[in-house]
Amino acid sequence: MDTLALLGQGFGVALAPVNLLYCFLGVLIGTLVGVLPGIGPVSAMALLLPVTLGGTPESGIIMMAGIYYGSMYGGSTTSILVNIPGEAASVVTCLDGHAMAKRGRAGPALGMAAFASFIAGTFAIVMLMLLAPQLADYALAFGPAEYVSLMVLGLTMLTFLTQGSMVKALFMACVGIVLGLVGLDTINAQHRLTFEFAPLVDGLGIVPVVMGLFGVGEVLNNTEQAVRRQIVSAKISGLLPSRDDWRRSWAPIARGSLLGFFLGTLPGGGAVVASFSSYAMEKRLSRRPEEFGQGAIEGVAGPEAANNAGAGGAFIPLMTLGIPPNAVMALLLGAFIIHGLQPGPLLIANNPGLFFGIVASMYIGNVMLLVLNLPLIGIWVRLLKVPYNVLFPLILLFTIIGVYASSNNVFDIYVMLFFGVFAYVIRKFGFESTPMVLAFVLGPLLENNLRKALIISGGELSTFVMRPISGVCLLLALLILLSPLMPSLRRKRELVALDN
Amino acid sequence: MIRRLHNDGQRMKIDDSQLWSGLIGLALGAIVVWQGYEHDIGVVTEPGTGFVLFYVGWFMVLLSAVMLLIAIREGGAPIASLWEGVRWSRPMIAIVLLIAFALVFERLGFLLSTMALLIGLMRLIDPVPWPRALPIAVLAPLGSWFVIQKMLKVALPAGMLGIG
Repeated sequence: MDTLALLGQGFGVALAPVNLLYCFLGVLIGTLVGVLPGIGPVSAMALLLPVTLGGTPESGIIMMAGIYYGSMYGGSTTSILVNIPGEAASVVTCLDGHAMAKRGRAGPALGMAAFASFIAGTFAIVMLMLLAPQLADYALAFGPAEYVSLMVLGLTMLTFLTQGSMVKALFMACVGIVLGLVGLDTINAQHRLTFEFAPLVDGLGIVPVVMGLFGVGEVLNNTEQAVRRQIVSAKISGLLPSRDDWRRSWAPIARGSLLGFFLGTLPGGGAVVASFSSYAMEKRLSRRPEEFGQGAIEGVAGPEAANNAGAGGAFIPLMTLGIPPNAVMALLLGAFIIHGLQPGPLLIANNPGLFFGIVASMYIGNVMLLVLNLPLIGIWVRLLKVPYNVLFPLILLFTIIGVYASSNNVFDIYVMLFFGVFAYVIRKFGFESTPMVLAFVLGPLLENNLRKALIISGGELSTFVMRPISGVCLLLALLILLSPLMPSLRRKRELVALDN
Repeated sequence: MIRRLHNDGQRMKIDDSQLWSGLIGLALGAIVVWQGYEHDIGVVTEPGTGFVLFYVGWFMVLLSAVMLLIAIREGGAPIASLWEGVRWSRPMIAIVLLIAFALVFERLGFLLSTMALLIGLMRLIDPVPWPRALPIAVLAPLGSWFVIQKMLKVALPAGMLGIG
């Protein structure tokens, strides 16, 4: 069947009333968590994962995906109006977006952010639809050695892009792998790291771990600071960008879309890296670089396009290889597995309705976001006025509900609290949670493939370097590991570091 | 007490955060190595349950050694300074309230325990006036209970009083 026929089948799935409702809820909740600082797409997806269990896999994944790309739209609103990024991918939008708002141009900044997001988001979906099936065919030739090397590259790349010490980021990735291995060994069926404690036999759940690290940990960090928000109070009008705004923005949007999509597909990549890279590129290419930081619309259009294209691109390694490139995709992998699906080279071939249904829902979700977002700006502004001392108890309430509802086990609440306090303390010592979450999800996959590769090769370690794709991935990972020794690369790392 | 000289000539303090990061990391790495060893490492042709744990543990030990080296050469911030200029008592109160909540959650039931938690969080950390805190503390758990228990049919604990 050709792509258009499959897309037609996908629209059949996506336009089913229940899936439309899930798509709408996903993008609406995504925008909401994007708007609200202190709660990002990872915690929102973890929170709502149990809610999706009652429906079909299509509905659940459509909603989870909607939260991710919806949060990219919403994040820009807070960046522009409050100068606080709603989520990490919108950090750079603060620079010029808020400067535009202070100069009375909040409307065009919000409008351009929405249009750039829509254009790049649609571009990424087209690319995902066209490229993913081809890449999945190619990925069928991948063996356990290639998977191990790709995962090692992904983890190394993420530790390279994480802010702070790379040694500490690597250490956290190791902790994540170890925690991912708690429970039953899938090959030998032996208990591991359970310390004869029954609730640990099934391993640690992704929901309590993620909610602890990103939900409770974030709240604890925020409560110790006096959160002051200065919302641009002038009436927001003229959301449609002018002809001059479009003249200045079309090229950054095009470049941001291409760059963002490409960076999104890389292991360890995603929306955050894409937005930072786009801003740096636009500033370098601009004939008026001095305007950047003072309210240049290119500084809004490029990064907003890039983070949305990056969000779309990040679906490719997950859908075709079963390898999540970042923490958000790791959670989506968890959602697939909970629904009894295994992302990888056979996902598209075996479940074309599911894959093209998700793609079609993303087209629909993008249109929903464009239509909904601009008229709803007033509501988002009002939401931003909710004081943090009211907001954070509610965030904690919802995290508790989400964790308990996912397992009906109070032990998971203790797990969440433990990881919340853990995230709060390690952050003080300069450790980041992001590499740990990705490694936590990848840990069992990595171990499984490593052991299989060694058994198949008869214990030949050279199998990892002699196979071309595997060898190249390991070489790249090695270069990344050695990069802190090269001052020029170290400076570049600091420029694109995550979690600014 | 460790009293080595840093590159800048200052003495290393026992409350150096980098030093403690390395030491705790070293201990964790050693535990992971030991656990890997306990769970059967196997051989390279047939790796056992503890194979990955064992080698990841050694990598953690190596990384911790690098952290310690950095602590000895460059030093890190004193631990107390990590909480300087922030209101650290607020997260402490939140942690205590959350632990207390987890302990009574099943006994008191969802509604009573979450209402008490919300009142505690809103009144003890950054006080929200009573007229605003009370309705939120009552209505938010009630609304959540209605959605989760009544609409989504997910059972929430009713507690020994059977409320909810």
